[in-house]
Amino acid sequence: MSMIRTENLCKSFHSLEVLKDVSLTVEPGEVVCIVGPSGAGKSTYLRSLNGLETINSGKIWIDDVLIEDRDKGSHVNKVKMPKQQRLAILLELGMVFQRFNLFPHLTALQNIMIAQTKVRKRGEAEAREKAESLLRRVGLSDKINEYPSKLSGGQQQRLAIARALAMDPKVMLFDEPTSALDPELVGEVLNVMKKLAEDGMTMIVVTHEMAFAADAADRVVFMADGVIVEQSPPSEFFTNPKNDRLRDFLRRTLRKEE
Amino acid sequence: MEALLSLAGRLPEWAGPLLENLKRMIGWMPSLLKATQTTLLLSVLSVLTALVLAVFLALGKISKRKIISKPCAAYVFFFRGTPLLMQLFFIYYTLPMLIPALNIKSRFVAAWIAFALNVAAYLAEIIRAAIQSIDKGQLEAAKALGMTQWQTMRLIVIPQAYRRMIPPICNEFVMVLKDTSLVSIIALTDLTYQTKMIASNKASAMVYIPAMFIYLVITAVFTFIFNKLEKKLSVYE
Ligand SMILES: Nc1ncnc2c1ncn2[C@@H]1O[C@H](COP(=O)(O)OP(=O)(O)OP(=O)(O)O)[C@@H](O)[C@H]1O
Ligand SMILES: [Mg+2]
Repeated sequence: MSMIRTENLCKSFHSLEVLKDVSLTVEPGEVVCIVGPSGAGKSTYLRSLNGLETINSGKIWIDDVLIEDRDKGSHVNKVKMPKQQRLAILLELGMVFQRFNLFPHLTALQNIMIAQTKVRKRGEAEAREKAESLLRRVGLSDKINEYPSKLSGGQQQRLAIARALAMDPKVMLFDEPTSALDPELVGEVLNVMKKLAEDGMTMIVVTHEMAFAADAADRVVFMADGVIVEQSPPSEFFTNPKNDRLRDFLRRTLRKEE
Repeated sequence: MEALLSLAGRLPEWAGPLLENLKRMIGWMPSLLKATQTTLLLSVLSVLTALVLAVFLALGKISKRKIISKPCAAYVFFFRGTPLLMQLFFIYYTLPMLIPALNIKSRFVAAWIAFALNVAAYLAEIIRAAIQSIDKGQLEAAKALGMTQWQTMRLIVIPQAYRRMIPPICNEFVMVLKDTSLVSIIALTDLTYQTKMIASNKASAMVYIPAMFIYLVITAVFTFIFNKLEKKLSVYE
């Protein structure tokens, strides 16, 4: 039983190898933080999971269902399944982006309702009720009819989290959710994420917030040059790093944070 | 009018000819306004037809399939790269010689076709630019939420893009209104043609004044309406 499993994921952009045989398993309810230098391939890894990038080779299981199986060289997905079925499996993954990517022509409420009604085919009333309860959960009840442009960065990101949660995902993927925020707005977003983790959500979080990783993660993964270099529980990861590159990385980022 | 004329006796000498001219200008108005209908009808019909064509051209140009995108790009390149006047001549004079079946007898229809084809090329670029101006991140978010490409287009891209298209399309319409004066060259009785007729028949260059005044009023009215429309559509930005 695993929530997400990847085996030997490889991805190149033209001649640039971004992911080199990345294998990772995430258990249900687990919170995994991925850290690493810029250009390591962290975003590409997340985006490969939900099909925003097409991998070159490797295998991906979501909730124990194999959805990608490509051999080195041939690059053809050997998993044949109806489009609808694949779509339904990918819906188990919710994604939160660095730049929020809200729909600016829709209000907060509509942002959360649109995919519920059009993709999940829920009725108006049900979708609305769900949206309202999610807005309460992320602390935006009073912004229900505001357009995203009227919200602060932190509020926008919380709205984006609510939008993803509305689809009832089993896993939430976060790609540097606080990197585009002013420092004083980071906390409110991390708090929402921490609550989510406490509620048992399976999460993969790419982040530069070491304090969050230390606090909320069950496991921290260090990625560099398209390879997973080291992974361990935060207690060990931060106090007893084995790899030289990780030691170096930690020294530099932790110094910056002080 | 009578009151004005009775005033004339008491006005200085130079005012006499001025009043006389004013009277003549007012006298031309009915025929000018009648021709204005042609100008308006041609502009509106051309732009509406062009809009339909332009939607397909724009989507075609965006298409990833080269068999679709290349011809659409070539179309736009051709109609933006040659003078509108030449295109008008081509459709009215050359086409019937090349393909006798395409002998368009009606000057109005010939002008309509020429303008629709030409304006479509410009509108296609406006539409394409508006569609492609929507941030890629939103498309990714839509995909991550499970929306199909068509749903993303319909629910996310078009509702935003169409607001961005309105100002340049309105702008284009005002340009077309003025550009239709070209059709006077194939003797279609639009406002410009009628003006020229009066100018040569009645030997009075004065007619250009009320004619330009009419153009100005029409463009002012449309610009006013379009500005209102733009304000209404920009609520969330
Ligand atoms: N669409 C693309 N086309 C070409 N190259 C790309 C593309 N996306 C990413 N890359 C390259 O792949 C490499 C890994 O990118 P990725 O965004 O996954 O890194 P990252 O670990 O998320 O870095 P960061 O911390 O800066 O977000 C980078 O060198 C990047 O320039
Ligand atoms: Mg990244």
